Amino acid sequence: MRRLLACLLLPILLAARPAAADLVYVLNSTDPSISILDAFTRQELRRIPALREVHHLVLSPDGRDLLIADSGGNEILFVDPATGDVRRRERVSNPYHLDFSPDGRHLVVASLRRNQVDIYEARTLALLARLRMPDKPSHIAFRPDASIVYVTLQGSGTVAAISLETREALWEVPVGREPAGIIWHRGRLIVGIMGTENFIVLNPETREIEREIPVGRGAHTIFAAPDGRTLWATSRVQSRIAEIDPSTLEVRRIHEVPGGPDCIAFDPDGRVWATLRWARRVARLDPRTGEVETIPVGRSPHGIFVHPRRAEQ
Amino acid sequence: MTDLITRPLDALTGWIFEHLLQPAMYAAGLMDWAEDAIEWLEFGLFGVFSIAIVWLVCRPLEAWRPVEPVTDRGAIRTDIVYTLLTRLGLLPLVAFVFLASLQAWWEGTVADSGFVPPTLETLFPALREMPLLAFAIYVVILDFGEYWRHRFQHMFGWWWALHSIHHAQRQMTFWTDDRNHILDEVIAAFWFGAIALLIGVPPGQFPLLVLVMRLAESLSHANVRLSFGRVGERLFVSPRFHRLHHGILSVAGHGKNYAVLFPVWDWIFGTADFRRDVYPRTGDPEAPEALATGGWLRQQLVGLRRMGAALTGRGQG
Repeated sequence: MRRLLACLLLPILLAARPAAADLVYVLNSTDPSISILDAFTRQELRRIPALREVHHLVLSPDGRDLLIADSGGNEILFVDPATGDVRRRERVSNPYHLDFSPDGRHLVVASLRRNQVDIYEARTLALLARLRMPDKPSHIAFRPDASIVYVTLQGSGTVAAISLETREALWEVPVGREPAGIIWHRGRLIVGIMGTENFIVLNPETREIEREIPVGRGAHTIFAAPDGRTLWATSRVQSRIAEIDPSTLEVRRIHEVPGGPDCIAFDPDGRVWATLRWARRVARLDPRTGEVETIPVGRSPHGIFVHPRRAEQ
Repeated sequence: MTDLITRPLDALTGWIFEHLLQPAMYAAGLMDWAEDAIEWLEFGLFGVFSIAIVWLVCRPLEAWRPVEPVTDRGAIRTDIVYTLLTRLGLLPLVAFVFLASLQAWWEGTVADSGFVPPTLETLFPALREMPLLAFAIYVVILDFGEYWRHRFQHMFGWWWALHSIHHAQRQMTFWTDDRNHILDEVIAAFWFGAIALLIGVPPGQFPLLVLVMRLAESLSHANVRLSFGRVGERLFVSPRFHRLHHGILSVAGHGKNYAVLFPVWDWIFGTADFRRDVYPRTGDPEAPEALATGGWLRQQLVGLRRMGAALTGRGQG
């Protein structure tokens, strides 16, 4: 009977499985390696060796390359996001966090350990400027018109603004102990203050902190969901993932996710994927049900990216 | 195989960090150092594990065929203090606190010069696909570097003043491996940093091999009558090979058998002594008694004073 049921259900199950499942890239920072997961089966398909220490990654503006920064190895890997094949590697000084300016002209790289922020020409990777920063440049965010890049300085407890036109520092303001993740959100900067339980809302024009959003001890990074309906924030000490209303900036819901949630990515079904730094796992959170499933990966998983292969079918 | 070590250690590290260390650091306002803290925690736990393995291997060997009877347990206790301070990360942590800013400045200066330090894998891209081989080559190159650092420790009077702490031990056991002056350890870190500038730092995913190397270094100091045979003696440093280096007639610039892991360097540079039946008494007859039987702090102070004397020409060089 069981066998008959299995025979009947198999075609349905096969039909339900996407022909090409989404790929999830996870940077195992201290392995060091890159795990590629099948988002449907949640199995690890392959593991790409990295040189020393991979932390953050970003998709190129044309969507063709996934740039993976190996800070300890002093290089950036250019990976085909559809296949996981490494297309090329570029020697770059200690790349930690990196992102392209919204106009696609610049690639900005923060080096946490070397106290520098580098501005590269995106197309050629020619170094245009290196700015020496006070202490531990951590994460970066851009003004939508691509005129300014904002950097959290974890050791200084400040946010600095750098002009992409003059390539000079414009200002630096104190924001609290150990700022980490930062995003631009509707004319404001939202910054995770790791030494507190709050994200702060910074007005870049007045340079004043307008409000605090309590999320949990060790407020860390924040990401906007692709549909724009939610901001997702992590706290690494209290191990939480918080849903924040993008209009009111009120916390809608808290998900307790042990293991030190850090970076976040979204799959096309709206599920949230988060790296769990202290647990050698990633979490897959379904916001509709609140269910959390964890999947084993490598050591100290940090950056994460979902490549929606179904869209290519 | 590596997973057998890393998985339980990582699970323990993760639990301690998440539930004890990180909350304490948060409460103390030290979250800026959280990522460094987990590295130190890993280092310390690996240290505990490696001390246990070294003890389990070396202690029975010392009981089986000791070279000499144990007559000074106090001297061994001092060596145990050295081992705990070094392997549990306390001394490296002090060095880190004092040198972190210097390191950031140095790395920034190197970056500003336009030089991007390579790794062996960037110099020889084929090694990317063979991480184990890459690691092995790092070990060989770094061991070559250690051979020459060791030669210089014996060659220069001021450096020997520090290194003689290591040689002053008359009751040498597997605990003696970490018996070094703290300034000597700092110089070793700079030495390593200089080599890293040329070839990068080795990959960190082979704790099992690091454990084997640590075991080999401790075993080479063990109080055991053990030689690796005619061929083995030329491949790996044995307790017999290294005891000859610690012999009382082998101090300062009269040394033999400087190699740490691979005797081939002594072979090439004419400093090897492969006599397999020689197990001399150890110690430095010219060193003050404090270096042999004093406590950790006293040895550190005397070592520093002797170095100062050597530098100002008042010492015995």
